[in-house]
Amino acid sequence: MTQQQDQNIKSRPMTGPLEGIPLPDLDRLPDYERGFWEGSHRSELRIQRCSGCHMFRHLPTPMCPSCHSLEYDWSKVSGRGVVYSFVVVRNPVHPAIREKEQVPYNISLIELEEQAGLRICSNVLNIAPEDIYIDMPVQVTFIPTVDDPNVVLPLFVPSD
Amino acid sequence: MTTSSADINGIRDKAAIVGIGETDFSFDSGRSELQLASEAIKAACDDAGISPHQIDGLIRYEMDTNQETMLIQSLGIENLRHWESVSYGGGAGNAVVGHAAAAIAAGYCNYVVCFRAANLRSQMRLGQARNPQRIAGGQQGFAAPFGSMAPAHQFSMFVRRYMHKYGATSEHFGWVAVTLRENASRNPRALRRDPITLADHQNSRMVVDPLHLLDICQENDGAAAIVMTTPDRAKNLRHADTLTLVEAAAQGSGPQNEGVIYRPDISVAESTNTARDLWARAKVGPSDIDALMFYDHFTPFCLFNLEAYGFVPFGEAKDFVAGGQNIRFDGMLPINTHGGNHSEAYIHGLTHTQEAVRLIRGVSTSQPPNKTIDRVLSCSSVAQLSAAVIIRRG
Repeated sequence: MTQQQDQNIKSRPMTGPLEGIPLPDLDRLPDYERGFWEGSHRSELRIQRCSGCHMFRHLPTPMCPSCHSLEYDWSKVSGRGVVYSFVVVRNPVHPAIREKEQVPYNISLIELEEQAGLRICSNVLNIAPEDIYIDMPVQVTFIPTVDDPNVVLPLFVPSD
Repeated sequence: MTTSSADINGIRDKAAIVGIGETDFSFDSGRSELQLASEAIKAACDDAGISPHQIDGLIRYEMDTNQETMLIQSLGIENLRHWESVSYGGGAGNAVVGHAAAAIAAGYCNYVVCFRAANLRSQMRLGQARNPQRIAGGQQGFAAPFGSMAPAHQFSMFVRRYMHKYGATSEHFGWVAVTLRENASRNPRALRRDPITLADHQNSRMVVDPLHLLDICQENDGAAAIVMTTPDRAKNLRHADTLTLVEAAAQGSGPQNEGVIYRPDISVAESTNTARDLWARAKVGPSDIDALMFYDHFTPFCLFNLEAYGFVPFGEAKDFVAGGQNIRFDGMLPINTHGGNHSEAYIHGLTHTQEAVRLIRGVSTSQPPNKTIDRVLSCSSVAQLSAAVIIRRG
């Protein structure tokens, strides 16, 4: 069936983390990344924030790329944001995605409300990928991975 | 006022490309990567009319498994006076050519070879997940757990945003695919030679929405090499009748490019910085260019580069490529007359520089019928790091 003929049939929504794929090794992470995952484990979205100039940053780094301070904290943010961009993966590139028939799934780039350009990569749950759109408002939710319940992913759901 | 690096062009016309060579391109070469490199470099030396014994400079891609010592051993190099590795895959395309020109201009070596050799289908496939199952830090730890594990996943994020911002559609990308395939249909080296229609593109399966299968480059085995020397030496070699010079080269980045998708505006190519420096160094502009070699890992990036290098205003590349007339081999600005990564083969951009040389020699299988090709722009990937060279007739 062609893509055109297919367009009225929507794919199933994601309901939780993908299974069987690479995860962070919490015991070996550098200290400047750990706070993100520790926050998630407590169901809090914590983003690295410079203690000098108070700029949020993600990806985490040991030094503030703006004022070059080495001091930072893990600031709890609201978890509200919008979809900045997204893609829908339909071809599996990892054996676990193939074997567990986990396509299609979306990868979404979420811009957080606290700071322009502050984005994290995630998935949007509870919505058919065909219905996701740029600037769609979303809210964070936290779900442990099946493969290692200590690794909790910040995922997003549509909000209005 | 301080002097910007763009005010100096120390390599202008100091290096000539005198030989190009490649292996066959395939989905299973059945040979080691060292053999592929050796074959392609020997072919480039044959084309130049020199012996591999004369090579005294090597510029390799950092990703390449062939180390300098292995090639000294295999090719019988007597004294390697100069060697460099350029990091990143697609970002190293054209950068190796710029580095080689600089090495010749500086007098570090007499005959320098740039090469890329890899079994990127039968061995390591870049399009498949290559992350470790447990990630000990770094950007992939913030991407792979959400299923972002391949270049197509990251680069499609740019494409979606670009479509949103400028109203480009998949059909615009399809015109690039149709055009590149038509070019490849005349190229006996090409892996994919069956012509396609816009409908074929639209009906090809969605791989990473918004990218269809026919938006995505090949994964293949093969190798390519080029030989450069001084213009004086070039006059005594096999292609003495056509002097092919490196006029200018540039590399660049933007801010926040670790992880690819966190840059300030992902709908704009990062290569705008590279473009600005390249034009400033060359002291020529888009209207002086006769053909374009764009790193087409994914078709939309031909549109990105048309805008980044100033051939059309931002947002207007979609109209420029629509219908294909402007970018066909006989059009105003031919793109990838060899068929590109899309249909000829994916050798990390080195085949694009080779095709620039063929166009200047007048021997492309899609040689533009109605004009002489005097100057070609060859650009690498639009992100994370980019590079470009201008190759001109001397």
